Amino acid sequence: MNTPLKLTTIEEMEADQARLRETACSVCAETYEDRVKAQTPHCKFGEDGVCCKNCSMGPCRITPKAPRGICGADAHAIAARNYVRSIAAGTSSHSDHAREILHVLKGASREGNYQIRDEIKLARLATEWGVPTEGRDIYDVAHDVADVGLLEFGKPDGFQLFTKRATEERQELWEKEDIKPRAIDREVVTAMHMTHMGNSADAEALVRQGLRMSLANGWGGSMIGTEITDILFGTPTVWTTEGNLGVLEADYVNVVVHGHDPAFSEMLVTACEDRELIEYARSKGAKGINVVGLCCTANEIAMRHGVRMAGNFLQQENVVLTGAVEMMCVDIQCIFPALASLSKCFHTKFVTSSPIARIPGSEYVEFKPETAFQQAKDLVREAIDNYENRDPAKLYIPPTKQTATVGYPTEQIIKHLDNVTNSHVEVIGTYRPVIDAIKAGVLRGAVAIVGCNNPRVRPDYSHMEIMKELIANDILIVATGCAAQMATKAGLLNKDAKYVCGDGLRRVCELVDIPPILHMGACVDISRMMLLATGIAKDWGVGITQIPVVGCAPEWMSEKAVSIANYVVSTGLDVYLGIEPQVKGSSQMMEIITEGTRKITGAGYIINTDPHELVKSIIDGIEAKRAALGI
Amino acid sequence: MGLFDRVFRGSAEMYAKAEAELTAAISELGESAPMKMPDTAYFLSCIYAFLGKKVTTLGELRDALAEIQSKMTTNQRLKDVFTSGIGTAMAAEVIEATKYARTPTPYDGTDYHGHFSDAEVRELGVPLVTRDIPGFVVIIDPAPTDEEAVALIKGYQARGIFVFLIGGVIDQALRGGISMGFPVRVVPVGPDIWAVGHIISLVERAAMIFGAVTPGDWEAFTEYSFHRIFAFVNAFSPVSDITVACGGGAIAMGFPVITNDKDDMWAVPKSLIIQPDTTDFIETSLEARDIKIKVTNIDIPVAFSTAFEGEIIRKKDMRVDINGARQDCFELVRSRATQDVEDHKIILDGPDIDKFPEGGAMNLAVIVDVYGKNMQSDFEPVFERKFHSFLNCVEGIMHTGQRDIIRIRVSNAAFEAGFRAKHFGEVLYSKIKSEYEAVVDKCQVTIVTDAAKLKELRAEANIAYDKRDMRLQSMTDETVEVFYNCILCQSFSPSHVCIVTPERLGLCGAVSWLDAKATNELDPNGPCQVVTKKRPIDERTGAFEDVNEAVQKYSHGALEQVTLYSILEDPMTSCGCFECICGIEPASNGVSIVNREHTGITPLGMTFSEMASMTGGGVQTPGFMGHGKHFIASKKFLKAEGGIARIVWMPKALKDTVRDRLNKTAKELYGIDDFVDMIADEEVAEDAEALLEFLAEKGHPVLAMEPLF
Repeated sequence: MNTPLKLTTIEEMEADQARLRETACSVCAETYEDRVKAQTPHCKFGEDGVCCKNCSMGPCRITPKAPRGICGADAHAIAARNYVRSIAAGTSSHSDHAREILHVLKGASREGNYQIRDEIKLARLATEWGVPTEGRDIYDVAHDVADVGLLEFGKPDGFQLFTKRATEERQELWEKEDIKPRAIDREVVTAMHMTHMGNSADAEALVRQGLRMSLANGWGGSMIGTEITDILFGTPTVWTTEGNLGVLEADYVNVVVHGHDPAFSEMLVTACEDRELIEYARSKGAKGINVVGLCCTANEIAMRHGVRMAGNFLQQENVVLTGAVEMMCVDIQCIFPALASLSKCFHTKFVTSSPIARIPGSEYVEFKPETAFQQAKDLVREAIDNYENRDPAKLYIPPTKQTATVGYPTEQIIKHLDNVTNSHVEVIGTYRPVIDAIKAGVLRGAVAIVGCNNPRVRPDYSHMEIMKELIANDILIVATGCAAQMATKAGLLNKDAKYVCGDGLRRVCELVDIPPILHMGACVDISRMMLLATGIAKDWGVGITQIPVVGCAPEWMSEKAVSIANYVVSTGLDVYLGIEPQVKGSSQMMEIITEGTRKITGAGYIINTDPHELVKSIIDGIEAKRAALGI
Repeated sequence: MGLFDRVFRGSAEMYAKAEAELTAAISELGESAPMKMPDTAYFLSCIYAFLGKKVTTLGELRDALAEIQSKMTTNQRLKDVFTSGIGTAMAAEVIEATKYARTPTPYDGTDYHGHFSDAEVRELGVPLVTRDIPGFVVIIDPAPTDEEAVALIKGYQARGIFVFLIGGVIDQALRGGISMGFPVRVVPVGPDIWAVGHIISLVERAAMIFGAVTPGDWEAFTEYSFHRIFAFVNAFSPVSDITVACGGGAIAMGFPVITNDKDDMWAVPKSLIIQPDTTDFIETSLEARDIKIKVTNIDIPVAFSTAFEGEIIRKKDMRVDINGARQDCFELVRSRATQDVEDHKIILDGPDIDKFPEGGAMNLAVIVDVYGKNMQSDFEPVFERKFHSFLNCVEGIMHTGQRDIIRIRVSNAAFEAGFRAKHFGEVLYSKIKSEYEAVVDKCQVTIVTDAAKLKELRAEANIAYDKRDMRLQSMTDETVEVFYNCILCQSFSPSHVCIVTPERLGLCGAVSWLDAKATNELDPNGPCQVVTKKRPIDERTGAFEDVNEAVQKYSHGALEQVTLYSILEDPMTSCGCFECICGIEPASNGVSIVNREHTGITPLGMTFSEMASMTGGGVQTPGFMGHGKHFIASKKFLKAEGGIARIVWMPKALKDTVRDRLNKTAKELYGIDDFVDMIADEEVAEDAEALLEFLAEKGHPVLAMEPLF
């Protein structure tokens, strides 16, 4: 039996990168690899989380000889404060992103640049939030929904509305443990307050605030962001697309969109489809306009439009290094400031668009919902005009790419499961089929693989090794963010990847007609995963901590990831980390994040920087949960 | 206990039984005793398929069993369930095989069928392709009541599903008076669960015969059955571990299991379905295997299903006998002008069935008048030839022959149920309208039973038949503009392509050039496409550049080139469901032809099954060629090698079938009279020596021909 699929190996990805480094050398540009060298070895105190610079008496660094800072804070207090501040930054990022989207919703109108694409979802959310819908114009409903959403950030009383979506058990536990999230801004402000000089020095109290704040992200900001984005741009559906640098086209005007907020990229995608602009591109000698995504923006537009994906986080410089990019348009989060100087070595125009992400050396076009489409068209025209400036001597596009089937939000997962439901014995619209498959042993469990890629380890390698091993062991993977992009590059989102799975997962893929790794979206969409796990637990009738479903971030790097890991743990799912959180300098913190949280939420971290050991512990963890359930 | 552990336990149980049976057989017969399943060229097919081992002795079977055990691994992964499950099926085959090691007919004198012959497997080819058999069900163990068992079997039968029975359900069917046997598609396979070995053997042979799957390619076999064999299992409570283990094998092959057993049972979507309501088994099962039944609602008082196609009505069960050989009876399709056809009008001209003596003769003509904007008179015989299968599907009606040599029997039971002459009209109306809707706009049926009118009408019909025959005779490969391909079989035989010409019909015997033409008109994007013949390469062998291009395209590159008239140079491939196989007989420089029904040996030293196994599955094997019976009398038969004069041997029954036409062709080609008498058969020769003697005695023309090699 031949397996028609040829996966792209890490070695092949590295070879492409090495070839592009040659281009970088020839134009005297530096890349992150150069900077990694320059930054190595990293500051040990920073790595261990025991450097405190929260007041100007310091910075204070904890050593065996100096076990306390000037104020008396010990390693545990300092590491915990730093850790909680990371969560605050991460929570802020996803939540502020959500707030922006809410403002777009509030400005949406039939005639405007932004319209409602998923009315059913809007109506459902309105009902959930108590906004009247009967006999009302949907735009009036939308604006009221936006108001309710915006209040989630600053309301004086009450808790995050979406927490009602959690299992009864979680809701009670969050209340009992006093980690039920209040207004999003309040949680962040409280965290910043607690970590101010002269406040909390109790590591556990700080971590508890971290948990509560993270829930304001996962069951607040992120979930709002996802819901509202679906309402505005449509709930994602299944698309077959392609990924990796080979999606850049030598004969086309290449426009790359990078970042996280789809409000900007949606407009650019539409502008790139504009007939007039395509004709204009042709008049300039190009075959057309090729818009591709990078990072989480790629995830957003791939699963709403099938737009191809150039790569994940650490691919951002490579894209410019192809010499084929007329314009790189960025919005927010995970954007290297280095792109400004790098793009100057080529003809590439580097456009920033958000007041949140201002980068010196970029062309700044502040994106406004009222003028969004015109701005997008102007930018695309500028990109087309830039085509003639391309230097053929610097042009090299690695041909590597893979086919990927993307776009599995919970709605699509349910729809696919409905197709394998026997209408004579089962009801549709539930996770029963996947639960049955897990109970019988056909699937052993599921793992949500999320997070960035990271030069602290061999980039993408941990993702690859863990993913391959899990699917070979009949463990279904759901993925978002740069992890999902890595799977795309490797070919693991191809339906033919069933041939590298164990027989159980392979059979599931065949029957349900899915790839073994389900692309669920951007990093903000990890909220979808929380709803998935919650739905499984509810339909199963067991606690969420009992189901053989866990999270894994093999190469996480951002503060958003720290916040995510905390809300996943708070939701009751173990999180397996391939990069150590920067708290190693505190034995108490190491104990709290791996074991201590288990007493609060029933879940914790399992940390191992060796991907092979980490994946073994994931499989063991899943089998242990199975055994506890008697399956 | 978990599902996986039940499979492992049942699998170990089946292995232990196999080992015990085999040890007993070896101690009784010895290791070197031959081990052969009757009428198959595929050894012990499960073992041959999955392990690639050709078992011919009990000793070899013991080695195979050791390998089977090595497949029965017990890790908590579905892979182990699958290999253990298939191992269980192989172990079942071992148990059954030990019976055949002792006698080739272990089930003689019982109600059980046991082993399936290759011919039976091949017979399934066409109905599977046409979806006349939309699927197979294996029913294991007794239903809660006899009535439920009977209802279930009849329910499947009415939907055309082929039914295999194992265990106590067979006794229930017997008590319920269900008529069983391969032709009526309800087969009582065996009393014990290990009888599944026979069913899996049939499945794996289908994969080898039609799919050209290579023995030993484990994964290719499960892929083939998963995607192409629409089988499923109904297992009644209580389901034992050993049955669960067999179920593991079934699921590995893509066959879902539906059970009413709730105890210690685990639902798996689309694979293992717990349905407590046994009265809903059929619909639950069909949905599980994605089988959609094409429903034809025909207003008749008896059932209509392909399952009744093979029904025999004996004299004692017969109400009337309509016999074209004795009375004026005939069937005719006429294309008429729109004003002459009233849609769905059924006219009975003469007395009805009840006016004829019970058990006696009746005369009857069926005239079907059709009108359609796209109707062509060339389609008349195409429709007419389908009357046979249409009427045969009626429960209690037996139909043979065509034109004015038809023979129809109406059973007492059908008559009692209210079946009357007009119902022939209802059946033909419904089927012609539904199957040929693209060309038939209106259809009217006239049934004539008035003896006085029939004589004249029959004479008129004969004029129409003669006219058609003239047209058919004038239609040769040279006179038509185009040929057609037929890839109807590709659902089972993915790389086979038939090229259908006026003088070479499809190898299954079911698709003539006119059929292919009609199919193409009915469904322009369907299985029959126009193949031009503008660029001949070699007229002698019938090679065309256009034909080769078509073959490359439709075989998806598996085949490069074929000739239409040669058995040695790039012969046409076979799907596996051919009516006859023709093979070179080297001693005489001729060829032997054997039809599927003939089980005896040929002078090649091979049976039909063995010869058939040389080709099929879209594989080109010079020296062997599958073909339809009608091709034998064609002037294009082996034209490149000298034509029909190469035929030296055929079974007697086949000779009789083709005698007149073959004699006529021989006369026209070579001026030889009674050529068929020069061809040997099983009565005069079953080996080369006797064959040569006979040919010399008869002065067979092959003796004067050029050597083939």
